[in-house]
Amino acid sequence: MIAFLLWLLATIDAVFVGYREAAGRNALINKKTYYLKSMLRGALFGQTAIVLVGILILLLITLSSDSQILIDDLKNAGGRMLVIYIPFAVVILTAFVVRLIPSVDIKSITSTVVFGPFTFLRPIIGVIGIIYALIAVLKISVFLLGLIILLMMLGLEKYLSVFRR
Amino acid sequence: MIAEWLTLPKNDLEISDAIVCFDHETLERKPVFKTDLVKHFTTVKNRVAVKIVENIPERGDVLDEKAVDKLLITAHCEMQRISEEFQHGGRMAQILRPIIETLRGENSDKKIRIVDIGCGTGFVLRWLAATKVLENVELVGTDFNETLIREANRLADAENLDCKFIVGNAFGLKEAADIFISTGILHHFRGESLYELFKQQNQTDTLAFVHFDFYNSFFAPFGSWLFHAVRMRTPLARHDGVLSAVRSYKSDKLLEAARRTAPDFSTAIYGVKLWGLPIPRVFHSLVGIRHQYKNDFLKNLGRWHRFSLGVIE
Repeated sequence: MIAFLLWLLATIDAVFVGYREAAGRNALINKKTYYLKSMLRGALFGQTAIVLVGILILLLITLSSDSQILIDDLKNAGGRMLVIYIPFAVVILTAFVVRLIPSVDIKSITSTVVFGPFTFLRPIIGVIGIIYALIAVLKISVFLLGLIILLMMLGLEKYLSVFRR
Repeated sequence: MIAEWLTLPKNDLEISDAIVCFDHETLERKPVFKTDLVKHFTTVKNRVAVKIVENIPERGDVLDEKAVDKLLITAHCEMQRISEEFQHGGRMAQILRPIIETLRGENSDKKIRIVDIGCGTGFVLRWLAATKVLENVELVGTDFNETLIREANRLADAENLDCKFIVGNAFGLKEAADIFISTGILHHFRGESLYELFKQQNQTDTLAFVHFDFYNSFFAPFGSWLFHAVRMRTPLARHDGVLSAVRSYKSDKLLEAARRTAPDFSTAIYGVKLWGLPIPRVFHSLVGIRHQYKNDFLKNLGRWHRFSLGVIE
């Protein structure tokens, strides 16, 4: 369940990253298809990152002298990451629901109060989630894994931009 | 770092204004010298602007026109993203609808000509044309910058939109505008030129105007900085966006200028507070309508939106 929720959050985040990376590059008015493609692109890049992390975890487990302890540690760390990331995601998804109300003012408020500040906070929340997870599992291998996840999470927009050119 | 951004010199130029220069009579482009610009921004202690200008390619000290044009189009595209996010097209339509209804009166077939002053790449008009939220209107955008107008026309053609964009002075068009609109240009008019802007509208056959600009609140500079930091990629767009909020006019100043120099209009600020509550908005607008239309306009505005309208005089 923890792995599934982390995968779901990572995928949703990658979709939004895809949108953000594409925004401000196309000045047409009707660009639903453009954004849908960009979000799909974000999701696909996100899946690649997830697969890489999955392979790393499998390697770590295979190479570990006591794989069951490592699995428990990873579960523990993942659970703690969810404690930080789920409330953040819930606020954003709620803002999307509110944004469905057909009012220019309400839509603007979701941007000023949630989308803008939360995009600003995203890297900080990302770091806090990883630190909170690592506090419970003080192992160098898990620390390196956390660092790689963080770099991929925060670097996704840059990677998407690089491959756009 | 944040302090450097939040303390941008209030009365100084935006970079996008400084890196292009046009003769307003002949519309010919004049060379802009990099050394002069760097010297200017150094004098006013705007280190952010110095860095940005230094990075623009030059040819024998003259800023490279192609590089400048590319930069301006990129920055406008990024700024459009903010307009989209803040529903600016819909906001403009919201206030234009009752004005148009009022000006038409009994004659519902009357075509209303809307002219956008300093339209840039024409987001607002293209949005109005694409969504067809206003019926039987002629949409014309004007700007002194030929590159931006070319881009606006290219984008309109690409989507087959019924609007056109012209290089030149909005007040010098052959056909007069029924309504003048603008977005984010008022703060560019400093000192007497702000009064001149309204004076010109008072003299023409114009029946109404709607000018949107950043709302000057305590939080505006920080909010603008935050949004431009997370949404803009181009340093120029970030710089000018933040500076726009810093140097935007207070509502009282806009009203004073409009009432003094456009006395034939009833004017008010629309959208200062959200739903009449003490929650500041990102944008507010200066709305003006010829006195004879004032009562009908208020009637057509509707009760709900009247909450957002300040005192109209």
